[in-house]
Amino acid sequence: MSRAIEEAVLSPGKRLRPLATLASAAAARSADEAALDVAAAVEYVHAASLVLDDLPSMDDAARRRGRPALHVAHGVATAELVAVALLARAFEIVAGSPRLSAAARVRVTAELSAAVGAAGCSGGQAADLAAEPASTGLDGLESIHARKTGALFVAAVRGGAIAAGAGEGTIAALTAYARNVGLAFQITDDLLDLEGDAARMGKDVGRDAHKANFATILGPDSCRRLVDELLDASVAALRPVGAARRTAVLADLARVVRERRS
Amino acid sequence: MTAPPRPSLDEARSRLRELGYLDAPVERLLFRTVFAGRGGAFLPAVVIGTLAAALSAVAAIAAGEPGVAGSPRTIAAVFLHVAAADLIPAAGIAFVLSRLAERSRRPGFAATMAGFGAALLVFVLWSVGTYGLARGLSAAALLWAIPVGLAALLLASAVRLAFIAHAYAHSGALPRRANRRVFLAAAALGLLVAILLFFSRREALAAAAPQPSPRSVPMIVAAVDGLDLDGSLRPQAALALLAGGRSGWWPAERLSPPEVWTTLATGVSSRRHGVRALSRVRPRGATRAVRPPWGTVWWLRRIEPALGLAVHAPVSSADRQALSFWEVAASAGLRSLSVGWWASGDWPGAVVVDNRAILGAASGGEEADRAALERFDRERSAGFSLATVYLPGCDIERDSPARRASAAGRIVDWLAPLVDRAAHGELVLVVVAADSHPAPGAVGRVIVFDGAEPPRTVQIRPVDVDPSILARLGVPRARDLEGVPVPALFAAGTVEAATVPTYGPRVAPAGTAAPESDREYLEKLRSLGYLK
Repeated sequence: MSRAIEEAVLSPGKRLRPLATLASAAAARSADEAALDVAAAVEYVHAASLVLDDLPSMDDAARRRGRPALHVAHGVATAELVAVALLARAFEIVAGSPRLSAAARVRVTAELSAAVGAAGCSGGQAADLAAEPASTGLDGLESIHARKTGALFVAAVRGGAIAAGAGEGTIAALTAYARNVGLAFQITDDLLDLEGDAARMGKDVGRDAHKANFATILGPDSCRRLVDELLDASVAALRPVGAARRTAVLADLARVVRERRS
Repeated sequence: MTAPPRPSLDEARSRLRELGYLDAPVERLLFRTVFAGRGGAFLPAVVIGTLAAALSAVAAIAAGEPGVAGSPRTIAAVFLHVAAADLIPAAGIAFVLSRLAERSRRPGFAATMAGFGAALLVFVLWSVGTYGLARGLSAAALLWAIPVGLAALLLASAVRLAFIAHAYAHSGALPRRANRRVFLAAAALGLLVAILLFFSRREALAAAAPQPSPRSVPMIVAAVDGLDLDGSLRPQAALALLAGGRSGWWPAERLSPPEVWTTLATGVSSRRHGVRALSRVRPRGATRAVRPPWGTVWWLRRIEPALGLAVHAPVSSADRQALSFWEVAASAGLRSLSVGWWASGDWPGAVVVDNRAILGAASGGEEADRAALERFDRERSAGFSLATVYLPGCDIERDSPARRASAAGRIVDWLAPLVDRAAHGELVLVVVAADSHPAPGAVGRVIVFDGAEPPRTVQIRPVDVDPSILARLGVPRARDLEGVPVPALFAAGTVEAATVPTYGPRVAPAGTAAPESDREYLEKLRSLGYLK
């Protein structure tokens, strides 16, 4: 199981979420150390969500990050246990962090719990599984993805700001940034699933073709326009946070999403 | 199950905005300017507010000034002049709002309220301005609601954005997005209130001329300005002569002579008859003179003439929106003569010698009275049921007690034989003694000689003079007048008791034009002390 956990956590992913956590903390004038534990916890939660997402009872994916999916390599039972262990470890890290203030520990725990729970990944995944492709419109898709993928990205960014002791105005501005980037990321994901290269993506492509997604509802051209506008809006939302040099990494993250090919 | 319709890009964009994703381009543009440190969040609001306020003023003038709506050059000129006036208050309001934005704890809500207030101000300027200038409003006046409403909405949005941006830049706190529909609700409410106000002044239909009951005795009305019977002047000869009449009195107010005397002549207040000042104003570039609407008087009447950007035009009958007693009498078929009254002019069935014909040739109060009386006596010889003359001499000579007393003495000499004839029942004499520059505690008086009635004194209102004169002439009283007849002033049983709903609006006879400017006459008014 330890090896399985190690594979789940250290497989070659983009580490977009923990990077967003650290960049958010930096934008809010914090030393990285205060947000490191939050960044690690966010990545643990994300890893757990990927393990669960690939299970036969969910998306039944065979490959993840260029490797066999965890349940393929270690069996479904082990994969399920790894997911639970990763979630537990995430909360353990935050709750026991010596770098975070007591108030920050409680608040980040609440943020991550919300991102994992019914209003977050779990609820979004359930809605995704239950969705009828033919009857899912833009609102339904937004609702699914705001919870399934967006909630954790928002929690990652907010967690970094909370760890840094940012004010409510800054946290609100960063939340606006994260929501826009999160949705842009998901639309890009759908576009890549439609048009992407499996080898470069490191996972099965075309698996979501039977599902309702942004690419099928809006068409590729409109999706690309929306991604551009969402990322413009995310960068504009950073302006109240502070000087451009402090938010440069967050702005770069938005650029990465725009140029994403995998 | 039916598939939901595929949204277009615009629909998707719009829906995502509603879900809190994309920012509006205008906001981003505005915020970018502010956050870049260049400031000026309120600049667009100041510009839009200036133009919206100017539009409201122009709409009010076009609704209340006949002919202006058909003169694009005048509309454009007035718009530019008023916009210059509105720039200063708009900048002041913006400054105050910027300070409030910096201190606001709920910038989203406060911004919405600021936008709401700005839209409301535009509607107030339009409604109050139009209401103040126009006696009757046509449906065409309501068409101005469209550009005014759009301007109010645009201003509300600009003020709200500026407020949020300024608060945002100052505190760094992201405000909650306000519900913009509140502005649509405000616009709808503003239009509703304006429409209700306008319908309360809907253009009155022309009324049939009132039919008078026959009266065999003619009436003379002598209007004496500045005859201060109860104050410092106290002309003993006049007091002795007039003591035999029945008297009505009212507390005097300090108003312009045209306003005082037009109220006495029409039976309605200046709010309805529209004559307030001695002059109108013509902004440079306009082809017509106009009356400034509410909120622009200080600029168009005071600042612009001083800067040489506008000229004055004397008040005229074209400014008066209510019928005078000699006009009602003439319309009712009674031969009428009027000499020297302010804001008087040609009227069918009446002989009218206007104010300019008397004052234009006079170099002082004595000359003015002499000219008025000579003209009055000459015209009166043709025989009239109603003859009235306005005598300004005592008012013009107010700075010279000796000349003022002399003027009063000559008036007494002129009145004495008329009082005697009235006592013998040959005519009814009404002397109106009012002062447009009253001392504190002074009163205005109407003294009536109607046969051998014993003297008595009653308190009345200035607006009661006109209906009292008309009722004594046998003309039914219009119920929409503000004043009512006072039977106690006249011989018993001589005052007409019948009424009619209205005399109708005053529609100037064809060919009547308001003077656009008259430097010579204005200089004369200035030399006589009317204009400073």
